[in-house]
Amino acid sequence: MLTQQIFFNTFYALIGSLGFSIIFNIRGKHLIFASLGGGISWFCYEIGLALEQSSVVSMFMATCMVTVYSEILARRMKIPATIVIISSVIPLVPGGGMYYTMLESVNGNEVGFLKKLTITLFEAGAIAIGIVLVSSFARILKMQKR
Amino acid sequence: MMDTHETMHLAAEAGKIILENGGETYRVEETITHICQCYGIEEVDSFVTPTGIMMSVTDTEGNSFSLVKRVTKRVVNLEKVRLVNDISRRVQHEKPPVRSVREELKHIKTIGSYSHLTTVAISSTAAGFFCLLYGGSFRDFCVAFFIGCLLNLLTWISDKLQLIGFLTNLTGGAVATFTALFMTHMGIGVNEDKITIGAIMLLVPGLAITNAIRDTIAGDLVSGLSRGLEAFFVAVAISVGAGFAYEFWYVIIGTVQN
Repeated sequence: MLTQQIFFNTFYALIGSLGFSIIFNIRGKHLIFASLGGGISWFCYEIGLALEQSSVVSMFMATCMVTVYSEILARRMKIPATIVIISSVIPLVPGGGMYYTMLESVNGNEVGFLKKLTITLFEAGAIAIGIVLVSSFARILKMQKR
Repeated sequence: MMDTHETMHLAAEAGKIILENGGETYRVEETITHICQCYGIEEVDSFVTPTGIMMSVTDTEGNSFSLVKRVTKRVVNLEKVRLVNDISRRVQHEKPPVRSVREELKHIKTIGSYSHLTTVAISSTAAGFFCLLYGGSFRDFCVAFFIGCLLNLLTWISDKLQLIGFLTNLTGGAVATFTALFMTHMGIGVNEDKITIGAIMLLVPGLAITNAIRDTIAGDLVSGLSRGLEAFFVAVAISVGAGFAYEFWYVIIGTVQN
């Protein structure tokens, strides 16, 4: 049952990323790579949660994985890595956290608001650190090659 | 020896296309430097921010020329970024004549985006699937799909009226939340929170965040900061809009269904 849910969610994330790739005007075969990235990122996130990690840690791991995927692809296909990273990371962006933070604030629940806000900021931070870590490493490798 | 002026304008043009279509700032600087150096201009410096390009070159006789390009309208068209990136790579290996590269850039500029109908259909689908992803049911999917249509229409109208981004996102957050609450109240949707989250995913500043991070890594602190701030303000605008709609609903109906 659980595995089925992961499978379905990965598929949903894939379609969502595909939609975003089209909104960002990516064309041709790059669409496939970008949407696959969305599926990969969500799958890794779900695996992280299944291993009883917090959402922040899971997001960090997922972002790392998908950035590695994007950088490798960028070197292979000779395309800017951004194209793949942006569409792949979209499903992880804490839109939910943003909404629930707003909800707590409107309902005047300060403690809940702060809790949700902290988690949302941490999740956004985890995504950022994940990209920073892998992309910096990729840059170093690129410098070494020259 | 190539004409310095021509090369400088070519490099600036290539940079401008990348910057206007959602490329990172450091990529613009690298492209400008790269193109100039491939055509034999050794001394070239550029300073690029998300809203403009400043560059200066010095030719072999020691004359300096400078150029400022202001970027006002920014859209997202990653295909153009990729094509200019390709040209930049080709210039290094093949050294095509400046004139032909200029023609290619002209051609890239004319590349359109996907048709409006496609974009509407795709935005709606994306909103619907994100709603499913965050745990919505099939009925929620339908409502999110509808809100996706609305949001796309809203973006289109605000483009026509040339409204500022803050206002667009504020209205977007409000429309998404209000519609979700209304539809749930009418018994069409089930979880108004899942619907809203799915729909506002269309507005979240994914590109701004990613580019802010990548610019910061590359040492482009000014751009990193400004893009980061942009992303933050977009998030705040969406939240404020959503909060406003929620309050509004609360006052009118008096009961929010949980």
